[in-house]
Amino acid sequence: MQDNGRVERRAVLKAGGASVAALGLAAAGCGGNSGGSGGDGTVELRFAWWGAEERSKRINQSIALFEKKYPKIKIKPDFTDYVKFWEKFQTQAAGGNPPDVFQNAIAFVAKYDKRGVLLDLKSQVDAGNLNMKGFRAGLEKVGELDGKLLGVPVGSNTMSLVIDQKVFDKAGVKAEQGWTWDEFFAALQKIRDKEKVAGDTGYHSVMYLYDLYLRQNGKAFFTKDGLGFTEADLTEWWTDAYNRVKAGIIADPKKVEQIKPKSALADGLAACEFTWDNFAVRYATEGDSTYSLAPLPTTDGKKTGQYLSSLMLSGSARTKHPKEVAQFIDFMVHDPEVGKIMGYDRGILSTTEQFEAFQPSDPEAKKIAAYEDQVAKAGLLEEITPHPAGADTVEAAFLRIAGDVSQGTSKVSEAVKQFFSEAKSALEA
Amino acid sequence: MTLVKESPAVVKASPAPPAAARRRGRRENLAGYLFMSPWIVGFLLLTAGPMVASLYFAFTDYNLFSSPKWVGLDNFTRMFDDSRWQKSVEVTAKYVVIGTPLKLLLALGVALLLAQSRRGQAFYRAAFYAPSLIGASVSIALVWRALFSDDAIVDRSLRLFGVEIGGWVGDPGWVLYCLVALTVWQFGAPMVIFLAGLKQVPRELYEAAEVDGAGPLRRFWYITLPMISPVVFFNVLLETIHSFQIFGSAYVISPNGNCGPADAVLVYTCYLYQKGFDEAQMGFASAMAWMLLLAVALVTAVLFWSQKKWVHYEEDAR
Repeated sequence: MQDNGRVERRAVLKAGGASVAALGLAAAGCGGNSGGSGGDGTVELRFAWWGAEERSKRINQSIALFEKKYPKIKIKPDFTDYVKFWEKFQTQAAGGNPPDVFQNAIAFVAKYDKRGVLLDLKSQVDAGNLNMKGFRAGLEKVGELDGKLLGVPVGSNTMSLVIDQKVFDKAGVKAEQGWTWDEFFAALQKIRDKEKVAGDTGYHSVMYLYDLYLRQNGKAFFTKDGLGFTEADLTEWWTDAYNRVKAGIIADPKKVEQIKPKSALADGLAACEFTWDNFAVRYATEGDSTYSLAPLPTTDGKKTGQYLSSLMLSGSARTKHPKEVAQFIDFMVHDPEVGKIMGYDRGILSTTEQFEAFQPSDPEAKKIAAYEDQVAKAGLLEEITPHPAGADTVEAAFLRIAGDVSQGTSKVSEAVKQFFSEAKSALEA
Repeated sequence: MTLVKESPAVVKASPAPPAAARRRGRRENLAGYLFMSPWIVGFLLLTAGPMVASLYFAFTDYNLFSSPKWVGLDNFTRMFDDSRWQKSVEVTAKYVVIGTPLKLLLALGVALLLAQSRRGQAFYRAAFYAPSLIGASVSIALVWRALFSDDAIVDRSLRLFGVEIGGWVGDPGWVLYCLVALTVWQFGAPMVIFLAGLKQVPRELYEAAEVDGAGPLRRFWYITLPMISPVVFFNVLLETIHSFQIFGSAYVISPNGNCGPADAVLVYTCYLYQKGFDEAQMGFASAMAWMLLLAVALVTAVLFWSQKKWVHYEEDAR
């Protein structure tokens, strides 16, 4: 008995010790090594982005090129889809462990700058690790905020109207430069009457389009710290839209919802859709019609309110290797080979080196290039207006509440009030 | 656990004086705790700790980045003014009140049928139980989405009977019922419990009733139901608490995981998740979590109180 007891105790203590050790190990594992450096001077950077499989393939190829040129820097890739990306990023950033380099978009710049997450790359530019020259069309300004450089553009995009060319042709309507909203809606009506298909997939829920409409009228969606329009403005926008849903000019929202994530335009539920021009590639793969990029409707027959936006690469303020982060970003935006690999996946390549190196061979990429060229030549491009912290939450609310309107589950007046109250708390947070 | 249970026997066997026995008992307790330590550490770190933290956050304004700011009861009062919060309460209440009784009725009905059959019972039991095992998975929710879309099998079958609903998934008026159907389909788990309860009812009660001329309905009402009422109570309790916490299937069935269209399946936990992880309002989200806990506790208390009126334990009769 005595003996047994002792053996038992020893075993227990050992087991206890082992489990404590295991816990310690697990804790060490959780701690992770954000951009650690190996004994031989090798530096590891975590790089995170969102996007589809195709983008990841291209980025991984580019990373391989980079690692060949900079053998002392290792890139650890990490990618997910858009929504998951920001959920994960927010949690990691809050835990003080964000990726060293990551893909960023205009709606998030002010938000994460306010929270001290973003690396100001200005000093790296001054140190010669990052070259901000050679960007097309003033793109280098997109990532600037309050005199800081918070993101480096990788490719330009602009809002566009993607049309089902076959349906437009059959209905005998044409999308022309400088057409007005009245002409646009008349065309949708004609499509409805002749082809028995809805004209548009739901223009009123696209925040970035409403922004352009407001810009055409001397306003903008956002000011530096709030909304740049009134409840009356939005009431008009959504009331008209609701009437158009009922008239069948806009696709049945029930059907649009249930085929998601497929696009209602590619599915043939409607004849056109407003979206960023670099997304246009998806329609050709998803649908079986011919799709073209058309000019945006205007208020005065001239101004479209368009501007060039861009996805960006940003660094983390917490990174232990700001120099290597800058070198990596520099390589990704300037290296001609990377330009050839990436193509127009994230928009038209932002630097002249990459833009000239890549010759689009597939028709969809050519269309996008031609579209932006046409917009630029027509002198339509204006400066981007600010996107305050909370813009991402406001966009999500706009999309959701516009959906309530078209489904008819809330009255326009209630929906507008709801949106303003949600936007207010999002922009104050 | 086994070790703790067996320890008294060991103590009794040894003829040691009381003090030594106590020491030994303490030592054995220590061993017991050591064996439990993986669980205890896990509980403290992963459950108790976060719960205490969330209770504190519930009274703060906390966006994950700046340190929490004490706001007292603000989060709770804000909830009642928040129309989406009201909507989420409404949706959850609807889901619980419609889904749970339907599921339990179906479970009881099928259990009654199965209790009578002699052959192939094991097979049927397994077959009906299977949905409960896989029902909560993402893939099944995706299949469900496909079944209830426009022109899919549900829509077509209903049209045969002249019912024109169209796709349920994109329709704010119907998508909740699609979700209810998914939960009702998982009736297997309560069914198995009902079945076990039915087997416990003594045969002689039925025989006596039959001799007295009671028909099947009376036998069900006066014998079966009272005899299995503890099992009914258990199932009601479990299923109700469970359905308050629905999240995964609502998240997956709605397009883009936004619990829409038009917030039609914005169940409570879904809104909590959006507030916490999309909008980074962790204080508000924590307050919501504690409200849910309170609500579930209240419902549970009411159920326990009500069982005096309708749950019949055999011991009482003696």
